[in-house]
This record gives sequence, C-alpha cells and structure tokens, in this order.
Amino acid sequence: MSKLKFDCRQLRKTVLDMAYAGDTVHVGCAFSIIEMMAVLHREFLRFPDNSPNAESRDYLVLSKGHGVMAHYACMHARGWLTDSDVQRYFADGTEMKGLSDSRISGLEVTSGSLGHGFSVGVGMATGAKLKGTDQRTVVIVGDGEINEGPIWEGALFAAHHDLKNFTVIVDANGFQAMGSTEDVLKLGSIKTKFESFGFDAVDVDGHDEHALEAAFSEAWNSYSPKPKAIIAKTVKGKGVSFMEHNNIWHYTRLNAETYASAVAEVTGCAK
Amino acid sequence: MRSAFSEALVRLAKADSRILLLTGDHGYALFDTFRKECSGQYINAGIAEQNMVGMAAGLARVGFRPFVYGLSAFVPVRVLEQIKLDIAHDDLPVVLMGDGAGFVYSHLGTSHQSTEDIACTRVIPNMMVLSPADRFEQTLCMDWAYQANTPTYLRMGKSDLGDVHPAIPVAKPGDLICIKRGVPHGVVFLATGSMVTTALKLGLKDYPEATIYSVPTIKPINESQVIDVLNDSACIVTLEEHNKLGGLGSLVSEIAGEHQPKPILRVGVDDRFSEMCGTYQYLLKEHGLDVLAVKAKIDVFLKCLVLRSQG
Repeated sequence: MSKLKFDCRQLRKTVLDMAYAGDTVHVGCAFSIIEMMAVLHREFLRFPDNSPNAESRDYLVLSKGHGVMAHYACMHARGWLTDSDVQRYFADGTEMKGLSDSRISGLEVTSGSLGHGFSVGVGMATGAKLKGTDQRTVVIVGDGEINEGPIWEGALFAAHHDLKNFTVIVDANGFQAMGSTEDVLKLGSIKTKFESFGFDAVDVDGHDEHALEAAFSEAWNSYSPKPKAIIAKTVKGKGVSFMEHNNIWHYTRLNAETYASAVAEVTGCAK
Repeated sequence: MRSAFSEALVRLAKADSRILLLTGDHGYALFDTFRKECSGQYINAGIAEQNMVGMAAGLARVGFRPFVYGLSAFVPVRVLEQIKLDIAHDDLPVVLMGDGAGFVYSHLGTSHQSTEDIACTRVIPNMMVLSPADRFEQTLCMDWAYQANTPTYLRMGKSDLGDVHPAIPVAKPGDLICIKRGVPHGVVFLATGSMVTTALKLGLKDYPEATIYSVPTIKPINESQVIDVLNDSACIVTLEEHNKLGGLGSLVSEIAGEHQPKPILRVGVDDRFSEMCGTYQYLLKEHGLDVLAVKAKIDVFLKCLVLRSQG
C-alpha cells in the first residue's frame, strides 16, 4: 500500500492553510473526517501508480461535500495538488471549489447538495460487481446528511443486491447546519438503522486511527455478502480546542489570530 | 410506438453489453422481451427514482450505458437535481426515458400527468431532449440517444395515434422533418410528439397551404434550419402537449426573436393543471388541444394577421 504518511497534524495544517488563504468556512466539517481520510488513503485505497484516474482504482466518494478540504489535504499529500493550489485556494479563476466537484481529478462526484454521492457510489459498486473487478467503493456521508431520503433508497438497493464491495462511513459528529442532530431531526442509533436495512454495521471512534484501521480491515476482509456501514463517532472541529463541538466553525472564517492559534494546536506547537 | 421502443432497446442492448436498463418498478409487460433476452442487463431499482438516477450516474462513471425508464412525471421531473448534478454536470451518457408524457394518464390526475418535463430538461446544460411523434421517430430517437453519448431525455407521449411517416425518416439529430409541403411564404406548423398527428390532420383537411414539420429534437435543435423556415414563412404555429412556457413554442419564439421575428401562435397547455378526470380525448378538450379547438385557435390567429395586414 501507499508509503505516504498522511500525518493528521500535517493534513489539518493544510486545511487551515487553505481555509485561511481562501477566507472560507467548513473547517469543522473537514476536521471531523481527517483521521478516517488519512487511514483510508494510507492503508486501504488503491490508486495504481498513485494516479487519481487509474481505471482499476478504488472509489472514494465524498458525499458530504462540505468536508472537501480534508480530501484536498490528502490529495496534496499524494502530490495531486501543489502548494500553489493550497495557497491560491478560492483565488479568482482557480478550479477547486468549496464543495466536492467531480471535474477535479481525485474527486469522484459533485456533492454539496446532500444525499447524492451515496447513490452514485451504489452505482459504481454495482458496476464493479457486474464487471467482476475487486474494486471497492467507500462513501463518506455526514450524520446530518442521512436526513436525506435517497440515502435510504440506496441502502435498500445495496443490501438487496449484496453489494459487499460497498462501504459507507458515517461521519457522526452530531451536528448539522442549524444545530445538533439530536435537536434538528433525531437519528437514534445509526448503527441499528443500517443493520435493519441489511448492512453489517459497526460503531468506531472516528479519531482513533488504530480503531479505524481495525474497522476497515474487518469490513474489507469480511466474507459476509452484506454492504458495510461504519459509524465513526467524531468531533466537529477536532484538533483545535476552540473549534471542537462548536458548530459556529461550520460558518466562521479564520483571521490572523485564530489561524495562528489553530496552526499551533494542530501541529503540536501550542504555547 | 411502444413496441418500436422495446424492439430498439433490445436491439441496442444485444449489440452493446454496456447497456443496462434501469426501471423504477414501471413498465410491467413492456420489458418482457428485454428481460428474457437481456436478463443480465436489467435492473429494477424499486420505487426509488432518486437513487436509481444517482446510480445510473455511478454506472456511467465506470463505463456502462444506462437507459433509465420511468413515467415522465417522475423521470425526469422528480429527479431533476440528480440529472443536473450527477449526470449532466459531467456529460455522462445516461438516457432517461420518460413515458406517458402529457395527458396519457388522463384518469389519474396531476401526479401522473406531465406538461413541464421539456421545460425542466432543456435548461440543463449538456442535455439532449428528444420528443418522437410516431414509431418511426421513436426508433430514430433511440438510435440518436445511444449514438449521442451524452445525457439525453427521451419524451414518450401518447403512443397509439398512428404514423406520421411512411418509414423511418432520413434525418440527423436536431433536424426539422418536413411531413407536408405547402405554399412558399405561407403558414408553417411546427409540432412535436403527439401533436404532430393533430397538425397533420389539420393540414390535410383544413390548411392545404400549410407546410408542416415534425420536430423530434427539442435540444440541440438545428437553429439554422429553424431560421430558414422562419425566413420562408408568413407566420408560425407551434403545437405541443406541454406547457406553453418552456417548450417547443418558447424555443421557436426565442430563435425567432433573435434572428427572424414572425408572428407565432403557441398551441400548448395553458399554465394550469387539469381540472377534470376523463379519457385522453376528453382531457385534450379540457385543455383546448383537441383538433376542433386547435383549428379555432389557428383560425383566429390567421384572421387577426389578415386584419392586421389590412391595417
């Protein structure tokens, strides 16, 4: 597998650099999925010749497009994006948008309107199954995102058709745009819900890289015909004390001071 | 027309194993032959159109050629955002086939009637929009949809109105197809889908001077042909079983407005839902789209033009 490190401290630093350079939001959404992205890229996703367009690659679908800076950070670590791409984020005439856009190599779908990537991923997994390849499709959805109906339409389909090559990771950070998932639209047990739809489902600490590795290994090596759901309990804004559990970092832009403090925290150089 | 559809689908799928037929639990007997002869290429996605269309995008991404079937009230209208974001944004070759367009489901009410589907799809970039009039155009449009390799909406309306062509016409996508030649610089009827039959009936009986074109391609239409037709006409009547807003009448008016303004009568559905229940013919009457009502509209239009020209 990849020899690249995908150091979570560096990935978070890249996200902060982008967010500060682009004067943009959604930092909290990116920080909750850093560890799962790092582990997937480091240990599980296959990109032959490190190419985002390799025909036999595994498919990583970021259905929660709002976390795209975490994905960009991994693409930067792979060398698919340059330092200039990071520093010029959101500059006029640049291609990288604030939500996942499939025209960028490395991003499989256009998302941001929620509940789309899951179904596209189910289609890709169905295609791989029909072709008889061993490609895997991993879809990352937010817990808020699973309010959307097509997620559950797709879950029925994936289970009915035994898409064991399909894995959904739910970024269960407990927040959506207007508040906590508990307050907005109660989800109950996400694990139980996916189980009842016919998935093998497991809860995991979404910031414990060893736990994530174990959960992904189990999903990847399972003999069960069922699709897999990994419910990653995460913290929105993870890694920066003043962002953690604070939904305002869905919307807030960094200034020079908050940028410097955040960088100090994520790189472990806090005073 | 429906058997032409089924035959074309089976023929295409047998020749290209990348073709998959996805249905949202619709088309009960229609796909008997397909299911028998191309069983590995058939997916019933259940009553879950949003997922079905998203999946079609995923399948197209990994090399398949999905043909997605539903009632036009659902495919494309219910799934418009999936078409826009998942399919059209990346110009993926997915063919969306919306059956029962217009007032085919006359007894079932608004949920199954569809008079906004052309307007919805033609404003999405990269989309091709096709609207065949008879079994021959149906076959032609299926081939165009396959060959175009681009997102396509194929609108299938009332299917048992008879033929307007003697055989499959020779035409390219975008072409206007002349089905009756009238006098030069006279009135020209431009009709699409089910209303081509109405236009032809009227032309043969009441308007011998009229030139009539069938317009199976709404987008991308051959604009220079439309301009030529406008140049060679005194006035235009467009006919469609679709809202007057956003359909063929709008399209022709847009081109005329920019290039060759001519008086245009748009015969279509007024901007309202059906009030009553009844047969297809009854509902056409309710909307003023039966032959007699259309004739009355055209007569008033032509009379006004004459009066206007007389000052």
